Amino acid sequence: MGIDVAQVAINVLMLSSMYILMALGFAILLSVLGIMNFAHSVIYMVGGYICYQLAVVYGLNQWFSLILATVIVGLFGLFLERFCFRPFFGDGNRTMVMTLAIIVLVETIVNILVGTQVRSLPAFVPGVIKGAGISVSADRLVTFIIGAVLTATMILLIRKTMIGQKMLAISQDSVGAALQGINIYKISSTATVVACALAAVSGGLMAAILRLSPYIGDTMLVKAIEIVILAGIGSISGVVGAGLILGALDSCLPLYLSGAATEVVGLCVIILILLFRPQGLFGREA
Amino acid sequence: MLKNMLKIDLSYQKVKYAKIFTGIVILLLLFLIPVFIHKPYYLHIFILAIIYIIVVCSLRTVALSGQVSIGHAAFMAIGAYASGILAKQFGLTPWLTIFLGAVVSMLFALAIGFPFTRVRAFYFSMVSLFGGIAIMNLIRVAEKWTGATSLAGIPPLDSLNIPGIVQITFSNQKAAYYYFILIVALLCLAFLYSLEHSRIGMTWKAISQSHQVASSVGINESRYRVLALAVGCFFSGLAGACYAHYNLVLTPSTFGFLPSIYLVMYMLVGGLGSFWGPVLGTAIFVLVPEIFRWMKEYTPLLVGGIMVIVVFLLPKGMVSLFYRNEPKIRKIHKKEALRYDA
Repeated sequence: MGIDVAQVAINVLMLSSMYILMALGFAILLSVLGIMNFAHSVIYMVGGYICYQLAVVYGLNQWFSLILATVIVGLFGLFLERFCFRPFFGDGNRTMVMTLAIIVLVETIVNILVGTQVRSLPAFVPGVIKGAGISVSADRLVTFIIGAVLTATMILLIRKTMIGQKMLAISQDSVGAALQGINIYKISSTATVVACALAAVSGGLMAAILRLSPYIGDTMLVKAIEIVILAGIGSISGVVGAGLILGALDSCLPLYLSGAATEVVGLCVIILILLFRPQGLFGREA
Repeated sequence: MLKNMLKIDLSYQKVKYAKIFTGIVILLLLFLIPVFIHKPYYLHIFILAIIYIIVVCSLRTVALSGQVSIGHAAFMAIGAYASGILAKQFGLTPWLTIFLGAVVSMLFALAIGFPFTRVRAFYFSMVSLFGGIAIMNLIRVAEKWTGATSLAGIPPLDSLNIPGIVQITFSNQKAAYYYFILIVALLCLAFLYSLEHSRIGMTWKAISQSHQVASSVGINESRYRVLALAVGCFFSGLAGACYAHYNLVLTPSTFGFLPSIYLVMYMLVGGLGSFWGPVLGTAIFVLVPEIFRWMKEYTPLLVGGIMVIVVFLLPKGMVSLFYRNEPKIRKIHKKEALRYDA
């Protein structure tokens, strides 16, 4: 059986873009606020469910409901920063317990409201695009394009705008940044809103590709943590590289190995890289 | 002056006696539980709680040296699977394999411990998280031995037969299991407690506060960190092996990513600063959902609510509820000290 290199490359890109989209918001929160936001998984899941609710139950336009879900979840991010992160600023243990509490509470509420049965959102763009011996589902292509655009936007936002520069300053030294007259809380809440909005976009898009259940976030959360730690804390553009590596591992290895073995090999590669470069591939020196 | 000193001593004595008294009462209650509670289901919950208390206490032992492992459930799994497979495939008696399972878990910790000392604090947590998930997937891969999705048919503990003295059968006897696991847990906790208050425990605390200072006074940092990991993994392996021979069926998802995080959560909510914090946290988080089972799908809301309340009101964890008397004593002590200085 010959393996079509072009097809494999396309698969790698599609899978990587899904991973990167999920990891981007996580990376921003970890870099700027220094928060290991385990609740990212439920925010992603809630984004998917709101999109489903608006599009399928209320019958709105699917793209419009995706935007609306992003806005709603972004507003939730405002609440999250003010009442769940800010009171424990600089206390990693309590923030971690708080994010776990959010997971428990939100998962339970979603369970009560919509039940545990698996749902799926119809494809944003149905159909399969074929050409030159390569076939791609149109939905994945759309995810890839949106992922690429959002990633580029985020990198530009952080490199070129004032807010991004302030975020960088806080991530390097929050006390020093405050002494320079940067309003830490304002920037933190902006970062949280952006992170939650990104999670919601990826949740909505992924609800169409994968299935939707209250526990979909868990596996994606592990992938997001892997990517962000591999890229290194404080490196947003590094997320792209790490996402491509992980996407390549996860889409090429299953050709030869079983699903669980793929995970083992991928994780061992990441652990080995971290043992030689504890700050991650693209992170700054600790 | 003498009177004042006497007063301090008296209050210390009082607290000490009160502590011993409550300890004895709690022990008595624990030993009397199977006498009053006959429903197997309730005993099952208590057994699970005690098994998890061993695991979380061993996790805290690892955390003492500044390494918060977020993959600790995987070591429980190694102990459980090693013991289960040895007993099932090789027909060894579970009394031996429980110990062997713990040793296998410890050897594994020794093997990965030295490379893992390269990463510290947060990065150690992350690497241990990935390591834990990798181990769980490895168990899924080794289908031939572990049965991939579930390992069934693990033999229960052999009946204990000393002619003329005791005869205890374990299969389907929850009360017998309860006493066995309770005694194992008490021994483990006693060992871990004395270890924490020994020179080794002090060294671990020194390393967690500053590894540079600790190294500069001649502490071999990596050796002590590996030691902490090995001790912690021995006891979690032991608990896992007990779980295997109690539950008789093992599934990888019992030891996956979320259970590992929940172990850390039990520890943090209970209180990282005290030996009894993890015990309290685990007991409450295993028992409360069962007590409020009648709330059905709303029960997790209660758990989340407890977490939020603890995080906001008790920064040092639940165990600080019981600290109330101590600051008072410390205050008297401080005042006296000041006066003596003057």
